[in-house]
Amino acid sequence: MILVNLISLFLLYYLKKSAGPQGFPENLNRYFKYGMIAAAILIALGIAKAPPEILFQLLSFVLVGGIIYLILNTPELDYQKTLAITPLPIIGVQLLEYLIKTISPAVFDILENYLDAAGFFALIWAVTMWLNHRKQMKEIEIERIISKEQERQLRNTEEQKSQLEVLVAERTSEILKQKEELQEALNDLQSTQAQLIQQEKLASLGQLTAGIAHEIKNPLNFVNNFSELSVDFLEEIGEEMAKISESPEKQNILDLLEDVKSNLVKIRHHGSRADGIVRSMLMHSRGGTGTMDPTDLNLLIREYSNLAFHGMRANPNPINVDIQLELADNLPQVKLNAEDFSRVILNLVKNAFDAMRDKINALGSDYSAKVTIRTKDLGDQILIEVEDNGPGVPDEIRDKLLMPFFTTKKGTEGTGLGLSITHDIIKSHEGKLDIESTVGEFTRFRILLPKAKP
Amino acid sequence: MKILVVDDERDVEDLFRQKFRKEIRNEGLELLFAYSGKEALEILENNNPPLVASVFSDINMPGMSGLEMLGIIKNRFPQLQVSMISAYGDSENYQKAMSYGAKGFFTKPVDFESLRKEIGEILRS
Repeated sequence: MILVNLISLFLLYYLKKSAGPQGFPENLNRYFKYGMIAAAILIALGIAKAPPEILFQLLSFVLVGGIIYLILNTPELDYQKTLAITPLPIIGVQLLEYLIKTISPAVFDILENYLDAAGFFALIWAVTMWLNHRKQMKEIEIERIISKEQERQLRNTEEQKSQLEVLVAERTSEILKQKEELQEALNDLQSTQAQLIQQEKLASLGQLTAGIAHEIKNPLNFVNNFSELSVDFLEEIGEEMAKISESPEKQNILDLLEDVKSNLVKIRHHGSRADGIVRSMLMHSRGGTGTMDPTDLNLLIREYSNLAFHGMRANPNPINVDIQLELADNLPQVKLNAEDFSRVILNLVKNAFDAMRDKINALGSDYSAKVTIRTKDLGDQILIEVEDNGPGVPDEIRDKLLMPFFTTKKGTEGTGLGLSITHDIIKSHEGKLDIESTVGEFTRFRILLPKAKP
Repeated sequence: MKILVVDDERDVEDLFRQKFRKEIRNEGLELLFAYSGKEALEILENNNPPLVASVFSDINMPGMSGLEMLGIIKNRFPQLQVSMISAYGDSENYQKAMSYGAKGFFTKPVDFESLRKEIGEILRS
């Protein structure tokens, strides 16, 4: 009977050893432990042949049967099934021997030789099964190692993949950032290019204007000089005519001469008007020589607001505008590039006209357009305000007003450069341009210029 | 008393003759006209010492410019008074004219009153 218990012990020991790295559940381990203790006790009792032998022998069979039952019915031990079958013949033979011995020792003596032979075959069977089982176990082990390796590789690949993904995401965001920067640079370049083209156009237009003005100036001088001379001569003729005796013919001649004289005066008057226009064209287009000279700002404002008004009246769609000048008395002279700064006044006043034209078109005769231009001495600064009671500037476009090429005018009416140039000129005078506005009520451009240091 | 006026615009002659009609008639002023710098120099060359008391010249002329002519005249006849008349009232031309030895500098359109004063002084001298 010791053999059966040894088998029990061996099975339990082997099962315990066969635990993988994750181990068996706690209750299984407990079964193994108690089983092994029970087997050891039974072995000890068997050796001691302690009575009642028959009971202990029965317990031995119960133990080994329990172990086999455990192996067959526990999912964790499923792969050990062949192990359960291995000792079965031995146990069977032992059980048979035991039963026969217990029931009828006489029969046992007759059958002993057969039973020994059966025991021997059972042993061979067990060994064969055992070897077979070992082989299976090894295969399972190899399979496990292979699958573990594959799993490891898979994990590695996953890890590398996620690392690569992070890297790709980083690179992608870098590239996107660079792309945005490039796009911005490109936009800047495009707007600068457009600005340059516009400036080039304006410059060549300016040169052309200067050339035309110059060419017109000489003939105009002749018109003016000769008309002036002729008026002088007519005075002289009048003096001479006084010496001739009166007659109807003389009276007719005198009347005609009076008309001629009045015509010449008109020619002279309009000639000098044209001369004034040519002169301001020349002044305007010759381009700043860059010199800042002390300038009477009030005079400049008077001249150029007037010029802007007459320019507007001479162009298509003239409007009726009341221009009010609220110019500070005793304004000190300001260091200005008069040619450049005259553009500021022209542009702001022209802008006001354009804005108010829209309002006039919208409201009709209920609205009377008014531009107010103020100058104020603020101590260390000079304030210039150009205010119109036009449609006002909505908040959302106020910031864009000074940007080059921003225009609210339709089609080809505006270049979008006027206020941008104005702003540049004011900046070049170290001044500041602010815009205050209430939609539907007014727009006020405020220029602050630093006073010249004494 | 002869005065030479140099200008490529021919109507300048009529203008001057009419403007100085009284001086021509009553004060013995005689106006000579040249329509280019070259022509003016020829008139001056033909008479040495020069017949004219003074020269008034435009600056911007085709061919020889007034300033070029001024340089040549001042080189040949240092005593001759030359005044310049220019449509370009810029300081560069003024500086050049003065450094070449011009007596006066008038800008177009010509202020005939100041020109008359200048010519009056020449006539009386």
